[in-house]
Amino acid sequence: MGALVGFVGNAFADDASTASDAAQKVAASICAACHGPSGVSVSPQFPRLAGQQEAYLLAQLKAFKSKTRAEADAHDYMWGMATLLDDSLIAGMGHYYATQTPAAGIAGNANLIARGKVIYEQGDAAHGVAPCASCHGKSAEGAAIFPRLAGQHAAYVRRQLEAIQKTFRDSPIMHGVIKDLDSAQVAAVAEYVQSK
Amino acid sequence: MRSMPSLPQFLLAVAASFIVLFAGGAQAVPSYARQTGQACVACHVSFPELTPYGRWFKLSGYTIGIRQDIPLAGMAIAGVTSIKNNDDGTGMPVTARNNLPAFNQASIFLAGKATDNIGGFVQYTFAQTYSTDGTGSGHSGIDNADLRWVGRMGSLDANEVKLLYGLTLHNNPTAQDVWNSTPAFGFPYTSSPTAIGPSAATQIEGALGQQVAGLGAYVFYDRTWYAELTGYRTADGVFSFLRHGQDTGSPGSVARLQGGNPYVRFAYNKEWGAQSMMVGAFAMRVKRYLDNTDPTSGTDRYTDRGLDAQYQYISDPHTVTAQARYIVERQDHRMSFAQGLTANTDDRLRSSQIKATYYFEHRYGVTLSRFAIAGSADALLYPSGAVTGSANGKPDSRGAIVELDYLPVQNVRLMAQYTRYSQFNGGRRGYDGLSSRSPSDNNTLLFDLWVAY
Repeated sequence: MGALVGFVGNAFADDASTASDAAQKVAASICAACHGPSGVSVSPQFPRLAGQQEAYLLAQLKAFKSKTRAEADAHDYMWGMATLLDDSLIAGMGHYYATQTPAAGIAGNANLIARGKVIYEQGDAAHGVAPCASCHGKSAEGAAIFPRLAGQHAAYVRRQLEAIQKTFRDSPIMHGVIKDLDSAQVAAVAEYVQSK
Repeated sequence: MRSMPSLPQFLLAVAASFIVLFAGGAQAVPSYARQTGQACVACHVSFPELTPYGRWFKLSGYTIGIRQDIPLAGMAIAGVTSIKNNDDGTGMPVTARNNLPAFNQASIFLAGKATDNIGGFVQYTFAQTYSTDGTGSGHSGIDNADLRWVGRMGSLDANEVKLLYGLTLHNNPTAQDVWNSTPAFGFPYTSSPTAIGPSAATQIEGALGQQVAGLGAYVFYDRTWYAELTGYRTADGVFSFLRHGQDTGSPGSVARLQGGNPYVRFAYNKEWGAQSMMVGAFAMRVKRYLDNTDPTSGTDRYTDRGLDAQYQYISDPHTVTAQARYIVERQDHRMSFAQGLTANTDDRLRSSQIKATYYFEHRYGVTLSRFAIAGSADALLYPSGAVTGSANGKPDSRGAIVELDYLPVQNVRLMAQYTRYSQFNGGRRGYDGLSSRSPSDNNTLLFDLWVAY
């Protein structure tokens, strides 16, 4: 038990000295149940949040709260969780996860990764698909509102690309870029970014 | 006697149930979902089977989310039961309302968090029973209940809850458990209330449900190691609300236990990717009075030991889960034997079950299960008798269950369940000692509608 300290019980403790302390308590006692300790999730049902771009995290939490992000998983899991958060806590959560150390990439199918790398870096001009790297960064680290993709679960990335294609997420720029990606290309890109 | 319910009959039952349930504008969201704002699938593969997050929610004392002013939920079950041979050998029916729609039960749940450290649920059920003479009667009483206090300790970097610990007060052994390989919330999740089942079951498989008070302490460390120690006693005195509605005044109606009866539970849990698994063990000792109305009647002693395991792969669109358990019960009939109620001073009973489920899009499910019960021959414990008796005094029964499920929405489940017996109460053809009845004559098809709101 030496590795334990005594934060006990109340996830929304009044004695939290700062907004970031409060955010960390919520993250540890509630979010971590699915998103893992410090945002490194185990199950591909739930995205990894460690090291995610802060602006993107804030935008998504607000989208869950306003229910403008409406794919099935958002409805089933996050709409309710977002109601627990006020603006101050949302800011704290975004900062907390953005400052956690990202997890290493996950090895995958080498052929898929190779095909995904080409799409990620060069796009698919024949289908009007721009290179992913132009917004998400050469190393898929993301930038501001463009999310970090490196090390993200491939199954989660696939579901999000499909959700954006079907306009369940309010993401008009991304929709325009990927609307003509086929399922094989989606799988390849997802496998590639997961491995980064 | 081999006819199955017609489609119109089944549809009539479904329609009638919807009318009963939704008249009055009941809300179609159970109270935990209202508390967390999350959907049923966040916690359940299919009610009541729990996901990893559902297990965490339960072990957290049901405290995640926002406290509701009126934390009420409801559940109702109606169905059509069809037994293969509804003639007991003398021209009398074996089950009531065979091939006819039957309303089975309706429950109200008081379920939710009270504080960030206290939560629970109390289920109160109205159950409809039917007699083979065509009459029916209703009965209301408490069903499963689980009240918890929980505490948490964080890791050194404070990024996760490393140790979850708590107290639980409940009224059915293993109802507090979070893996669906233990009996109280184990498969089958819904059974026909009128079908015929094997005579023998171990104490931990429901024999004490809604009759005892269990006060337990548990720890869950690193989402890996689970340990629990619970003591059970008769639910009388201040605990009498935990058996509210039970007939406590008639001999043989409820269990009366002597003193505290210990239950221990250990489990190793692992989660990786979309998968999780658990291997565990549990044990319980029970001192049970021969006559619940007479505290001088002496006790028989039961020792149940069980091993269980669970595997889950939960993804979209595919979900696969499997559970297994094996229970050995040592029955010390010191008092029953002295009274001439058993043929042996000691008996053994073994019970095993395996089950595997596949769901597509959390909507279409198929489950296969096999079960077996075997034990000592005891002609006084398992006497002969029409349909439910045993010719050779043995409890041995075995069979399989096939179940198809369809959830048009997450809180409505339509189910077709077929139970097949290859051995029943110790034998095959003529097993009951009074007729030529075969185990397969008890095969049962159940169409069922389950709704929670």
